Amino acid sequence: MTVYLDHNATTPVRPEVVDAMLPWLRDGYGNPNSVYSLGQRARAAVELARERVAKLLGASDASEVVFTSGGSESDVLAIAGGAWQAHDETKGKRRKVVTTKIEHDAVRLLAGQLRRRGLDVLEAGCGADGVVDAAALKAMIDDATSVVSVMHANNETGVLQPVADIAAAARAAGALAHTDAVQSLAKVPIDAKALGVDLLAVSGHKVNAPKGVGALWVRRGVRLSPLITGHQEKNRRGGTENTASIVGFGLACELAARELAEAHQHAIALRRKLEAGALLIKGSRLNGHPDLRLPNTAHFSFDGVDGHHLVVALDLEGICVSSGPACSSGASTPSHVLTAMGVAPEVATGSIRVSVGWGSTDADADRFLAVLPKAVEKLRAVGAPA
Amino acid sequence: MSRRRVLVAMSGGVDSSVAAAFVRERGDEAVGVTMKILARTETGFGCCGSPADIDDAKRVAERLGIVHYVSDMAEIFASKVIRPYLDAYLGGTTPNPCVECNRSLKFGHLLALSEAWGCDAVATGHYARVENGRLMKALDPAKDQSYFLYSLDAKALSRAEFPVGSMSKDAVRAKARELGLKTADKAESMETCFVPNRDVRGFVAAHADATDPGIAAGPIRDRSGREVGRHTGLASYTVGQRSGLGLNGPEPRYVLRIDAASNSVIVGGVDDLQMKTITVGALTFNGERNGGTFRAHVRIRHRHTPAEATIELNKDGTATMIFDVPQRAPAPGQSAVIYSGDMVVGGGTILRGEP
Repeated sequence: MTVYLDHNATTPVRPEVVDAMLPWLRDGYGNPNSVYSLGQRARAAVELARERVAKLLGASDASEVVFTSGGSESDVLAIAGGAWQAHDETKGKRRKVVTTKIEHDAVRLLAGQLRRRGLDVLEAGCGADGVVDAAALKAMIDDATSVVSVMHANNETGVLQPVADIAAAARAAGALAHTDAVQSLAKVPIDAKALGVDLLAVSGHKVNAPKGVGALWVRRGVRLSPLITGHQEKNRRGGTENTASIVGFGLACELAARELAEAHQHAIALRRKLEAGALLIKGSRLNGHPDLRLPNTAHFSFDGVDGHHLVVALDLEGICVSSGPACSSGASTPSHVLTAMGVAPEVATGSIRVSVGWGSTDADADRFLAVLPKAVEKLRAVGAPA
Repeated sequence: MSRRRVLVAMSGGVDSSVAAAFVRERGDEAVGVTMKILARTETGFGCCGSPADIDDAKRVAERLGIVHYVSDMAEIFASKVIRPYLDAYLGGTTPNPCVECNRSLKFGHLLALSEAWGCDAVATGHYARVENGRLMKALDPAKDQSYFLYSLDAKALSRAEFPVGSMSKDAVRAKARELGLKTADKAESMETCFVPNRDVRGFVAAHADATDPGIAAGPIRDRSGREVGRHTGLASYTVGQRSGLGLNGPEPRYVLRIDAASNSVIVGGVDDLQMKTITVGALTFNGERNGGTFRAHVRIRHRHTPAEATIELNKDGTATMIFDVPQRAPAPGQSAVIYSGDMVVGGGTILRGEP
């Protein structure tokens, strides 16, 4: 029996989502852009999904939703697409991108690429609690800024970020405000309009839909330089629509919208239980702001333990958690997020992230808490080689 | 017997691939682990633990249907294997990093980890055997790697498994082919895995402090003390070496001795390489320690045919090993491994040789 406690990495696809997708993999194979009825039926399914996604994002206008291949593409379309569009429109006057040191690698590595290609890229830090230093970030924004990008909730610590405050400053300076809301969708209410952003990225597989589908909400009137050229998605994103996955994403958003309050309560109850249990272990700590956090995410450090080795120990007991993003490489390097928070490297490498979600049970938490203390203790006994 | 959980140290080579296959075939739970031994920036080409080898190990594990993890041991490897390796060369001796890696990493840190992970044993692709808790030569004498494993202690041996230790290399490759493993025809790893392109001199120079006396030039002298040439730093020489000395003369000359104190390399003729006696330190013994004086066979380098010797254990913890027939070029820093028939009795590090 697998105990899955890594919902920030990906989520199980809900059975009703699978069921809703299957017809579009079988008989409903028409191209949504075709004239005949087979195509029209696919188009209708895609547009229904668009409305459902829009609704969960608090967008009244479904045409503001652009379907993509996932969160990473949405982020890159928003930031690179926005930055180059503004750069070109202003003949290079707006050439600055402002972001943070705690973004997902999709954004972080893009920032490095934009810098190498000649744009000015500034990254604001965060406090020890993992909350981005909004004052410092806002001070970086000026009339040469094209895009300001701040994640909505951090994927490792789950800490919620002051997006609304920063977005207001960005827009006041005539820059585009983008937020990577991949980890927040279906966990906390999202209202793109109320946040005051121009662009907002989400992903299907984090909300019990399949991998390979995501969306970028683009405020009406915002112009982006497309990454993938073509006429689909109103010229904003080329490529024939991934009908089945889009349908699945739509239904998952519909279900999430319906169950949001309940899911929030369920997650926070489980998280509190996990935290209470895990923090009984000597030499343990919780990383990130205690309250300003996603309801489902807990990030722990254990003294004298390699987080990656702890992940292996738990996996051998059938429990899935992660020690950081992209830990499959086995590199026990401290995460950039914890480093930005000022966490010492030896503490940072002793970390695991536990994230609950749809389908997580009390029994899962019990099992985790039954195995964890022993695993930590045994790994501490290994220690560093003499 | 109930299903055991066995950690298989998978280097990404064919031997450990087949070792994993055997563990799985007999019905045990195989847990594949590849040690990442180099930090990302200093990955050697074709080096064990380099990304390509990690990928190979992963593909094999997928093919076999076993789990596979990568464990970052770069820091330990640097301190336990690479640092002593550099220090040995810089001090004029010839290190044996595989012995240290087996002792400190595979059957040190990894073994400890395996226990924390609830594993009952650690299997590797070494050609050696364990019988009744004693380390034995491999059945295939051409492949025998017991020389590199002599320093495993009783606890390590009680948990070590060498599933291919009774096989020939051909049989191992045939097995890998039969299973469709991508490593079946992979080239043998040769020399020192973390030294790119076998360039020991370049590696030592790149990692040494520029002011280290071990890389300072100095005299090459003959046995009478006469300077006959110049050397480019002690780290570039090994006892028994002939090439690269830059000496002219009618007779070929060989490195007899490296004298770190005077930063000189001493050379002589081929007959001067023959050593009757070696002094060995850092001794370890498997099983009971034989006291006093005893007879055994001693291997002084990988692939050397163990030679009959009389071994005297000295009060200072060293051993004097007197060969019946003098042996060619025992190199300080290399291991001297003591055998009784196929069984490894113990061993240590060669400190010096005497004619």
